[in-house]
Amino acid sequence: MKPVVKKLLGSPLVGALTSPLSVDDYLALIDRRLSLREPRGRVSAVARQTPDSVTLTIEPNDNWTGHRPGQHLLLGVDLDGVRHSRCFSIVSAPGDPLIEVTVKRNGDGRVSNFLVDHAERGQLIYLSPAEGDFCPGPSVPESALLISAGSGITPVMGVLRDWLARDLVQDVVFVHYARSATDMIYAAELAALDARHPGLRVETVYTAEGGGRIDAAALDARVPDLAERETWLCGPAGFMDAAEPLVRARSNRPLHREQFAATRREAAHGEGAVQFVKSDIAASGENGSLLEVAEGAGLKPAYGCRMGICHACKCRVSEGTVRDLRTNRVRDVRDTDLQLCIHAAAGDVAVEL
Amino acid sequence: MGKPTHLSEADIAEFGRELDAVRDEVMNDVGERDARYIHNILATQRYSEVVGRAMLMAGFLPPAWLSGVGLLSLSKILENMEIGHNVMHGQWDWMNDPALDSGTYEWDNTCPSDQWKHSHNYVHHTFTNIVDLDRDLGYSVLRMSEDQAWEPRFLVQPGIALTLAAFFQWGVALHDLEWERIGKDKSWSEVGTQARGIWGKVRNQLFKDYVAFPLLAGPMAPFVISGNFAANFNRNIWSFMIIFCGHFTDEVEMFDVEETRDEARGQWYLRQLLGSSNLDGSVPFHILSGHLSYQIEHHLFPDMPSHRYREIAPRVQAICERYGLNYNTGPLSKQFGGVVKRILRMSLPHRRKGNTLADESSVDAPVYAEAA
Repeated sequence: MKPVVKKLLGSPLVGALTSPLSVDDYLALIDRRLSLREPRGRVSAVARQTPDSVTLTIEPNDNWTGHRPGQHLLLGVDLDGVRHSRCFSIVSAPGDPLIEVTVKRNGDGRVSNFLVDHAERGQLIYLSPAEGDFCPGPSVPESALLISAGSGITPVMGVLRDWLARDLVQDVVFVHYARSATDMIYAAELAALDARHPGLRVETVYTAEGGGRIDAAALDARVPDLAERETWLCGPAGFMDAAEPLVRARSNRPLHREQFAATRREAAHGEGAVQFVKSDIAASGENGSLLEVAEGAGLKPAYGCRMGICHACKCRVSEGTVRDLRTNRVRDVRDTDLQLCIHAAAGDVAVEL
Repeated sequence: MGKPTHLSEADIAEFGRELDAVRDEVMNDVGERDARYIHNILATQRYSEVVGRAMLMAGFLPPAWLSGVGLLSLSKILENMEIGHNVMHGQWDWMNDPALDSGTYEWDNTCPSDQWKHSHNYVHHTFTNIVDLDRDLGYSVLRMSEDQAWEPRFLVQPGIALTLAAFFQWGVALHDLEWERIGKDKSWSEVGTQARGIWGKVRNQLFKDYVAFPLLAGPMAPFVISGNFAANFNRNIWSFMIIFCGHFTDEVEMFDVEETRDEARGQWYLRQLLGSSNLDGSVPFHILSGHLSYQIEHHLFPDMPSHRYREIAPRVQAICERYGLNYNTGPLSKQFGGVVKRILRMSLPHRRKGNTLADESSVDAPVYAEAA
């Protein structure tokens, strides 16, 4: 949309002409990607690097405000009539006008599996603004270590592509753990970069083909000068739990970590009673997050990622004691907006639903 | 008056379970097909509005003015009846689409959505046809049941009903102020907050229909103003007719507070059934009525996607027949005739005896006994 058109459509007069509906409701008649405020995009290219993944290039509308390297965003699709959103790391460098993500098949992850199986050119995707602080600033250390496992390669690739685009790679070691060669995304690109850039050394470990999981001896052998390196780390929870102490024991330089899915420290069960004030329903807080308790009680609160990222399920809690399911921290709150999906009742809680 | 006597508590509980089963089956099945339906309705509503308003701008040509009014009326009716009312019931919340969220949707009506959700979703749907509790029973200006005490003011209620029909959305807008409670258990400050909400909606609609679009039309402004007025008028008349046929037809039942105390699920279903009446008609007719022509199904399952009422109606009717219960349905002419009759009859102080369903259903009782 041309800025002047957008400014006109966003004017109070046009707003009054469409009231109480929004300008977007009418723009949707032309193209559902059009919106005055919401970032939305269309898939402009689909590539399948491995049998179990898909790499999507998404052309965002002009509400996309860009991203910093290593950030993630929510991709929303309508599946069987229901809007589902999940979080994915952005692989493309910030200078790239298109958004690249790679999605791996993931157990019962509906969005991931749908995209792997059915993503096609032209498809509408609902986007969120980019989030995350895997890369706190634009500066690049003299020597860096990038470690990733599985689909954890995606934000790390995003960081590396940014450095390469800005020609700031001096001494980077990239250690990636994949299950097997056929399973590894970005294998060809990494091999090419490794060959082309003297400042970049890529070490790929195939865990199912004798490479072994991350351990002290192997890490020392691969990165003997780890003490000098600032580290970026991303992978599944088990991998992160193993790798993080190894790195911390060897280097005092900053360690940046990016973890997918909010790992719940324990099974999501609460205590106490949950009172849904507006609908006058009381429920036991035992069965999962406040979001799950609300749904179990027949309520239909808004939700998005269900893992603490998108804030779609944010709701006012009048008062109560809640447990943050990511950190297990318990706190008393009063008139606070909380993400229901990552909080459980730790005592009696009154939710304004 | 009230509930039938030929069913035992166990029968009523079983009746409720059968209806629950219908509900569960549909609610577990909602998906792509339902999403496509509502998206088609949304597109129809918006296209008809855009084209309708465009034609009114050429309103000096009578055919353009007439089709403009027709299309804008269609759009306004669809938006209030099939979209707004049903979205605010949460019928489409399962889609997780912010544009169809019952919590945030605002409709093209002078009544603010939050006040509508209180007076309609809560008060009317919970206390349906309970005299003194259901404020939709005559909207506090009409006497619709023998059990409402007659007052001289009801002598003029045919005229009041006509006025209400012509300005229906304004009646709806003022409805939740609950003026009979003001100064008693409702504070003026609460009324003030509500009035500000109503004023916001009134201002927006008046500005849009009678200032902004006429300004855009320039010299065609008179045609746009008259066309917009006609479309709002048409919607008022249409929604008045459909809504009054929902609960005020001839055979519909009224209840008193005592007999509805501590209702179990099955008894609640029973009251919703007996207090509601359907309209027969074609598919377009049902869509234009917002599927309130399936008032019975809507009152049994207010948060079920509306177009599903059409599909389950034969099953609901069959269940009712097995239990010997009146499934009140008929064409618009018959049902609206019953409404008019009721408005006229209730304007007079006399009390008619022996026309309640309790008597009729005792006639039906043997049918149930045979079926059982």
